[in-house]
Amino acid sequence: MSSPDTILDVQDLNVRFPVFGGIIPRKTSEVHAVDGVSLTLGRGETIGLVGESGCGKTTVGRAIVNILRPMNYRVDVTGRVLYHRNGQVVDLASQGQASMRRYRADLQMVFQDPYSSLNPRMTVGAMIEEPLTIHTSQSKAERRDRVRWLLDKVGLSPSHASRFPHEFSGGQRQRVGIARALATNPKIVIADEPVSALDVSVQAQVVNLMQDIQQEFGLSYIFISHDLSVVRHVSDRIFVMYLGNIVEAGPADEIYRRPAHPYSQMLLAAVPRPGPDARRTRRVRLREEPEPSGVAHPVVDDLPSPLNKPSGCAFRTRCPIARPDCADSAPPLVERDGRQVACPYTT
Amino acid sequence: MTAPLAPVPESIFRRRLRKFRRIKRGYWSFLLIAGAYVCSFALPYVMNSTAFLVKYDGDYYVPALTFYPAATFGQEAFGETDYRALKEQFDAAGDDNWVLLPPYPYGPNESLLDLAGVPPHPPSREHLFGTDDRGRDVFVRLAYGFNISLTFALMVMLIGYGIGICVGAMLGYISGKLDLFGQRVIEVWSSLPFLYTIIIVSSIVVPVYIPGRIQVLQPSFWLLIIILSAFDWMGMTYYVRGEFYREKAKDYVGAAIVTGVSDPAIMFRHILPNALTPVVSFAPFTIVANISALVALDFLGFGLPAPTPSWGELIGQGMENLTKWWLVFFPLGVLFSTLLLVVLIGEAVREAFDPKEYSRLR
Repeated sequence: MSSPDTILDVQDLNVRFPVFGGIIPRKTSEVHAVDGVSLTLGRGETIGLVGESGCGKTTVGRAIVNILRPMNYRVDVTGRVLYHRNGQVVDLASQGQASMRRYRADLQMVFQDPYSSLNPRMTVGAMIEEPLTIHTSQSKAERRDRVRWLLDKVGLSPSHASRFPHEFSGGQRQRVGIARALATNPKIVIADEPVSALDVSVQAQVVNLMQDIQQEFGLSYIFISHDLSVVRHVSDRIFVMYLGNIVEAGPADEIYRRPAHPYSQMLLAAVPRPGPDARRTRRVRLREEPEPSGVAHPVVDDLPSPLNKPSGCAFRTRCPIARPDCADSAPPLVERDGRQVACPYTT
Repeated sequence: MTAPLAPVPESIFRRRLRKFRRIKRGYWSFLLIAGAYVCSFALPYVMNSTAFLVKYDGDYYVPALTFYPAATFGQEAFGETDYRALKEQFDAAGDDNWVLLPPYPYGPNESLLDLAGVPPHPPSREHLFGTDDRGRDVFVRLAYGFNISLTFALMVMLIGYGIGICVGAMLGYISGKLDLFGQRVIEVWSSLPFLYTIIIVSSIVVPVYIPGRIQVLQPSFWLLIIILSAFDWMGMTYYVRGEFYREKAKDYVGAAIVTGVSDPAIMFRHILPNALTPVVSFAPFTIVANISALVALDFLGFGLPAPTPSWGELIGQGMENLTKWWLVFFPLGVLFSTLLLVVLIGEAVREAFDPKEYSRLR
């Protein structure tokens, strides 16, 4: 599956969060947040990871940069995250904290919440400088220059270096987060909902900034978002996730023009269309009644609990074309019309 | 694009400090206590029986720095010179010799046996707060006691908080089995009866007293600090641990891990500054508790060794001599006002450091 241009190859990633309960706490069940996700990222490519809240897309991002275990000691991660570096292949998922540090400079992350992702006690300059102190042998003056240069790159004034996060607006904070991620010249940047906490006007600025930076430095992005219009704007390929599974993957334009999986169709139908003339041609309703076939399905409008996932195809409880045998086994991703779809019945 | 920014960047800590300064009651209490504490280190030169400077037969002597036996100045006595008597003698002689005494020329451990009557003597112009049952000046002893009490309270707090913060940070950050085990150890340790431990230890360790010198800090002073610190650190671990648990889940910690910051640096440089609110808000109340603890121990007789000027010992004398109002009123009054001022500081700090004001930072 991996071509010479591949920089990151995620294979069969599984993340489970154990759930503890009982008087004497012990593991009673687990949340299978990411269930066998595989994806590839090419050099200079942007892939979009979309899905509604709670589908595990953030967890995929965090598993790739290997911060799940340090932040939550109970999590159970299996699978491989192969990072292609100078002709060598490293499995990032199997690295401990100490050995992972060698690859941290190449693999950076922009966080969703610009308010909690910046340390309120550190100046912006100190935050951007920190990765340089750790990963380079630059002198203090060189690091200062680089901080000023980075702030300028992301559209902030170099004089902002001595300021604290609470003195900035949300958009400016996110720019600081981007500057911090770019400090060490990373190869891959995982952007976890980088714009969803921002105003629409600021969203466009930040997305454009990220694209300019990609052009200039040849970065690869994994762009995680629930906002389909943003993802379409930036992504070359798209991975649609539902309850920890990838249900459809393929070129962005293809999927947007003709979504194959019923879930992708539903997601796209939910995108607001501009102007009164744009017809909602593809509006898909969640099924509200049992199929005429008489098979009683529970009508579930919300995402089912990942604690208690439906058997077989996880989407079948909300699927307008579900059949009884959907409950039997999870449909695999199958190559079809230049994309991969995990649904055998869709047209 | 650029939002209006304050002309000068200001950290949250500085902002809170500014707010603390605006709370006048607490701020003035702080200035008063801090000023009095700093000044109290000059006490040996302000309230003492030893003279600053003596001119005797054309030579200058500095008794404040060097010890001179009584014979140096022609006094017929052993041990230290009686500088007050020397001054009277020189003044009466009216020659070129003179003595420069401190403004309040009585020492903390000096029994004024030449006063008329039987100690305790009531307050007079020479002895503002009177003398205690051994004829020692109460005002001087209270002043020295202030320095000792506050030094003691600060030391116990520093050591206790240092241990408490480190332990709490490790439990909260590393969590898991270490946290589970550490918590149980702390629970067991905190159930040890503190008073009995103090009694047992102080009955085993005999206080060292070197006669002839003003021993303000004796070995048993440090021993008391160590014992009290050993029982004082547990409370803070709970708060710091909780703060670390909360802060650890925030994205800035994830960002620091992604950056490759080492664990100790994440703990102490990234999380700790965000976890200090309970530490700072509890500090003044811990000082109050530590002063009270020392007073209580001294009162019971398990505190500082005998001649050390201590408030608890004076309060004890007051209880034994209830009719001698100055032994009851002044020690209790000084203790009360000190504790009140520190509590006022604490109230102001708590209000100034209220994290709710920055709840947008979550």
